[in-house]
Amino acid sequence: MKRMRRYVRNNAVPLALLAPAVMIILVVVLLPLIFSFYTGFTNYRLIRPESLWDFIGLRNYARVLTDADFWAALWRTVLFLTVALNLEMLLGLCLALMVNRITWGQRTMRTIMMFPMMFSPILVGFQFKYMFNDTIGVVNNALQSLGLSQKAIPFLVDRWLAFGSIAFAEIWMSTSIFAILILAGLFAMPRDPIEAARVDGCTSWQVFRHITLPFLMPFIYIAMTIRSLDVARAYDIVDVMTGGGPAGRTELLWTLIARTAYDDARMGRANAMAYVSILLSIFFTWFFFRKLMAARQHLGAF
Amino acid sequence: MKLFEQSFTATVAILTLVTPLHAQDYGNFENYTLRVKLIGGAQYEPLYTLIPEWEAATGARVDILSRKSHFELDREMKQDIAAGGVEYCVFSSHTNFAPQYAAMNQPLDGLVGQDVIAAFSPLVIDHATVDGKLVSLPRHSDVSNLFYVRSLYEDADNKARFKAQYGYDLMPPETWNQASDQAIFFADPPNRYGTHFAGKDEAITGRFYEMLVANGGKLFNDDWTAAFNGPEGQEALNWFTGLYQEKAVPAGTPNYVWDDLGLGFAAGNVAFDLDWAGWAGFFNSKDSNIRNDIGVVLAPKGSGGKRTGWSGSHSFSITQNCENKEAAASFITFLTSHEAQMIEARTGLLPTRTQVWDDIIAEFKDQDNDFMVEVFEVWGESMRDHAFTPPLIAEWGEVSNALWPQLQAAIVGDKSVEDALNDAAKEVNEIMEDAGYN
Amino acid sequence: MSRGQRDFLIWVATFLVMLAICIPGLWVVLSAFRPNGEILTKPAVWIPRDLSFDNFRAIFGLGDNVVGIPVGSYFWNSAVISVTSTVVAVTIGMSGGYAFARYRFPGKSSAFLWLMLSRTVPGIALSLPLFILWSWTGLIDTKLGVIIVYTAINVPFTIWLTEGFFRQVPRDLSEAAQIDGCTPWQAFWKVEFPLAKSGIASAAIFAFLTSWNEYALASQLTRSTDSKTLPVGLMDFTAQFTIDWAGMSAMAVIIIIPALILTFLVQKHLIAGLTFGGVKG
Repeated sequence: MKRMRRYVRNNAVPLALLAPAVMIILVVVLLPLIFSFYTGFTNYRLIRPESLWDFIGLRNYARVLTDADFWAALWRTVLFLTVALNLEMLLGLCLALMVNRITWGQRTMRTIMMFPMMFSPILVGFQFKYMFNDTIGVVNNALQSLGLSQKAIPFLVDRWLAFGSIAFAEIWMSTSIFAILILAGLFAMPRDPIEAARVDGCTSWQVFRHITLPFLMPFIYIAMTIRSLDVARAYDIVDVMTGGGPAGRTELLWTLIARTAYDDARMGRANAMAYVSILLSIFFTWFFFRKLMAARQHLGAF
Repeated sequence: MKLFEQSFTATVAILTLVTPLHAQDYGNFENYTLRVKLIGGAQYEPLYTLIPEWEAATGARVDILSRKSHFELDREMKQDIAAGGVEYCVFSSHTNFAPQYAAMNQPLDGLVGQDVIAAFSPLVIDHATVDGKLVSLPRHSDVSNLFYVRSLYEDADNKARFKAQYGYDLMPPETWNQASDQAIFFADPPNRYGTHFAGKDEAITGRFYEMLVANGGKLFNDDWTAAFNGPEGQEALNWFTGLYQEKAVPAGTPNYVWDDLGLGFAAGNVAFDLDWAGWAGFFNSKDSNIRNDIGVVLAPKGSGGKRTGWSGSHSFSITQNCENKEAAASFITFLTSHEAQMIEARTGLLPTRTQVWDDIIAEFKDQDNDFMVEVFEVWGESMRDHAFTPPLIAEWGEVSNALWPQLQAAIVGDKSVEDALNDAAKEVNEIMEDAGYN
Repeated sequence: MSRGQRDFLIWVATFLVMLAICIPGLWVVLSAFRPNGEILTKPAVWIPRDLSFDNFRAIFGLGDNVVGIPVGSYFWNSAVISVTSTVVAVTIGMSGGYAFARYRFPGKSSAFLWLMLSRTVPGIALSLPLFILWSWTGLIDTKLGVIIVYTAINVPFTIWLTEGFFRQVPRDLSEAAQIDGCTPWQAFWKVEFPLAKSGIASAAIFAFLTSWNEYALASQLTRSTDSKTLPVGLMDFTAQFTIDWAGMSAMAVIIIIPALILTFLVQKHLIAGLTFGGVKG
C-alpha cells in the first residue's frame, strides 16, 4: 500500500494523463471480460436468468476443448487470418507502389483507393453474398455471358471456393488500409539513399529489395498489428455471406461463438470459446508487435 | 418491397371507407400508456396503421418501444429476459418461439374472452398453446405449398417425354417421390433447375422436419431422445441429398435462405418451388419473369401418406410484468380482430380467424383476381388440415442448430446420410440431457 | 519510350486497377438506382433500363410505400455518436500518448502493450456482457452508451499514433517556450500540438470511420430510433422471408457519401499523419 502510494506520488503527472484512457478501457473492456470469465464456469443461458448462479466448474471448457467442430473452427480462423493478412499486405504494397509513382491526380486516386474503407462490414457481406450467388449473381452471370463458364459456379458452397469467397470479401474491404499505411511509409522515405544506389548502378529491383523494402518493414508490421487488432470485424461479413456454412466449411470462431451465445442462448459455453479466441488475437497482435519492435531497432533507435 | 406496396395502397383506400370500430367493445383505459414491442418490416407494418383507432376507442396511448425484424426481436427478448428488463406489456411473438419466452409469457386464458378464442381456427389456437396454456394470440400464419411454372407442365413435348421416361403423366406432384422425378426431369443447369430449397439455418431444419413427419417419422421419442435418425429420417434426408447429387437443384442451394428462393423462382429458372404464401403477389408482379404463368397445388405427400406442412404463426403475447393486463388483452384482441386480419389478408398473409378465410376469398372473387383466390383456397386447406409446428419446446432453436450443419454435411457429400443423422442425434441428446429432459 | 509516355502508361494502369477495385462498390451504388427485379435476375440485365430515385423515395416514405425508414433519425444518431466518440477518443488518446512520449515511469512499456491488446477483444465477446452491464446502468438504447463503447475502442490506436508524433517533437521546444513565459499548458497548445496535428487528424479519421461503420456492437446496444445508427438501420430492409437489396443499396449510398467526402477533405493530413512520427523516433 505504501509502495503504491509512493509510486502514484512520484508519477502523478503521467498517471493523471493516462487515467481517462485507462478508466474507459476498464469499464468497456475489462469489466465485461470479468463478467464473461465468470459465466464461462456456469451453465448460463440467456432465457433462464437464474442459471447465472448454476456453477458447473470446468465443464464448458472441457466440452469446448474436446469438441472437434471447435478445433476445426479454430484452425480455420488461423488459416483465414494468415491468408487474409498476407494477401492484404502484398496487394496493399503493390497498390501503394503504383499510386506512389503517379504524379498527376494523385489526391483523387488516393481517395478512390480508399473507397472500400467506406463500406460497413455488414454491407460488404450482403454485397458479396448477392454478387457470388450461383444462379442470379452478377459474377456467374458475367462469366456465362462472356462464355468463360458453362455452369453455375457455387462460390458460397464449394469447400475452397466458399473459403476463398469470404477471404476475398475481407481482402477487398481491408487492402486499402494496408495500402494507405504503406503509402505513408513511402512518403516518409528519404530520397538520398535511392539516388545514391542508382548512381552506383543498382537495378530497380535491387533498390527495392535492399533500400525501399527494409525501410517499409516497420510500416508493414504496423499495418499488420493494426489489422490483427480489429480483424474480428470479419465476423459481420462471414455471418451474412455464409453463416459459417455449408456444413461448417466457413465456420470461424466468431460465427461459432455468436451462434452458441444468441441462437442457442448458451452464454457460458460461448464465453469459454470467446476466451480462446481472445488468446488467439492476443497472440497474433503480440507476434507482429514484436516484429515491429525488432524492425524499429534494426532501423535505429526506439 | 414492391409486392407489399401495391396491396398497401389498396389497403389505405379501403381503410378510409371502413366505418370505425364494430360491435366489439375494447374498454376504456383513459390516460394509460401501453408499452409494446412489435415486429417490424414491410409486410407487418400496414396493420399498425390501425393503432390510432384503438387509441381513439379506449383513450389509451400506445408507445412502441421497438420495431424490428423477427430475428432481431427474438434476440432482444432473450436479452430482456437475461437483464431482467421486461418493462412493457405486449410483444410480438411466434408460436414456435413462444416456449423460449416462458419467463415472460402471461397465460391468456381468462384475459381474452372465450368467444374471441372460438372465432380462431382451432388448429392455430392449438399451436399457440404451450403446456396447456394459451400464451399468444395468433395474428397470421405461415405454411408452404407448391408454386409451379404452368407452361412447363402444359407443354405437349414435355408431357410426352416425361411419360416415356417415367411411365406416368406429367402433373404437378402429388408425392415427394414424383416431385423428385420431375425436378430431375426439368433440370437443365445452369439455365433451369427442377426446384431449390433453403439450405441453412432453421430453414433446412424445418424442411427436413416436415419431410420426416410426412414420411411417418418424428423428431423425438416419448422420452425426449432423438428419433430422427431412423429409416424415416434417412429417407427424408435422402430426398435432399439425391436432388443435390443429381444437380436438379442449384449448386448454391445449401447457402440459400428465403430471399434467394423467392428471387430465384421469380427469375424464372426453377420449375417448382415449395414456398410461403407471402411470395404469391411478388411472383405475379411486373418484377417477375413468370407473371401469369404460375400454378399452385398443395404440398405433396411423403411416404407416410401425410402432406408436409411445417407451420407457425406470428402472434401477440402479454408479459407477466404488465401492470394493466386488461388493456393489453384489449389491444391484442383488437390487432387480431376481423377487420385487422382482413387488412393483412389483402396483402397475402394467411389469417387465423376462420371467418376471414371465407371473406377474403369472396373479396378476391369480386375483384376477378383468380390467382389470389386459388392461392387462398390451397393455403386455406393446408392451414386447416395439414399444418403442424415443430415440438413446442424452448430448445427448438438449439436442436435446429445441432441439426442443420449435419444435414448440410450430408447434402454436400461430406458425410453419409446415416452418419450425419447419427452425429446430429448425439448432439441433440446431449442438449436435451443438459436441459433436464431425461 | 519517353518519360512522359511512361508516366502516362503507369497512370492508365493504376487507373484500371483502381477501377477494378471499385467495381464491387460501384455495383452497390448502381443497384441503388435500379428496381430489385432488374438487379438480381437471370438472364442478367447488363444495361440499366429503369434508372430512378424510387429506392430513395421509398426510404424517405415519399413513394407509393407509406412505410418509410426513419433514416433522418439514424443519420442524426450516427453523426452524433461518431463525432462525439471521435472527439473524446482523440482527446483522451492524445493525453495518453503525451504521457507515454514525454514521461518515464515504471511499467511503461507493459502498460502500453496492454492498452493495445485491449483492442484485440472481439466485439462479439464483449457484446453480451456489455449489454447486461448497460441495461443495469440504464445506458442501453442511449447515444451515450454507444459513445462510451466507441471511445474505448478508438483510444488505443489514437494513443499509438499520437505517441509517435509527440516523441518526434524535440523536448527543447516546449522548454524554450516555458522560459519565454508560457505556462506548460500554453506551451503544449502553441508548440507541441501544431507539430502533431497530422497524426491527430489521421487518428481522428480512422476513429470516425470505425464508429461510422460499426455494426456488431451497435446492433446489441441500440434498439429504437433514439440511438440506432445507420449500419444497424440497414437491417430494416430484411424481413423474415425477404431482403430488399435495392433499398439497402440506396441506404448504403447514404452511408458512404459523408464518409467519402470527409476522407477526401482530410486525406492530405491522413498520409502525413500515418508516418508514425517517422517510425525511427
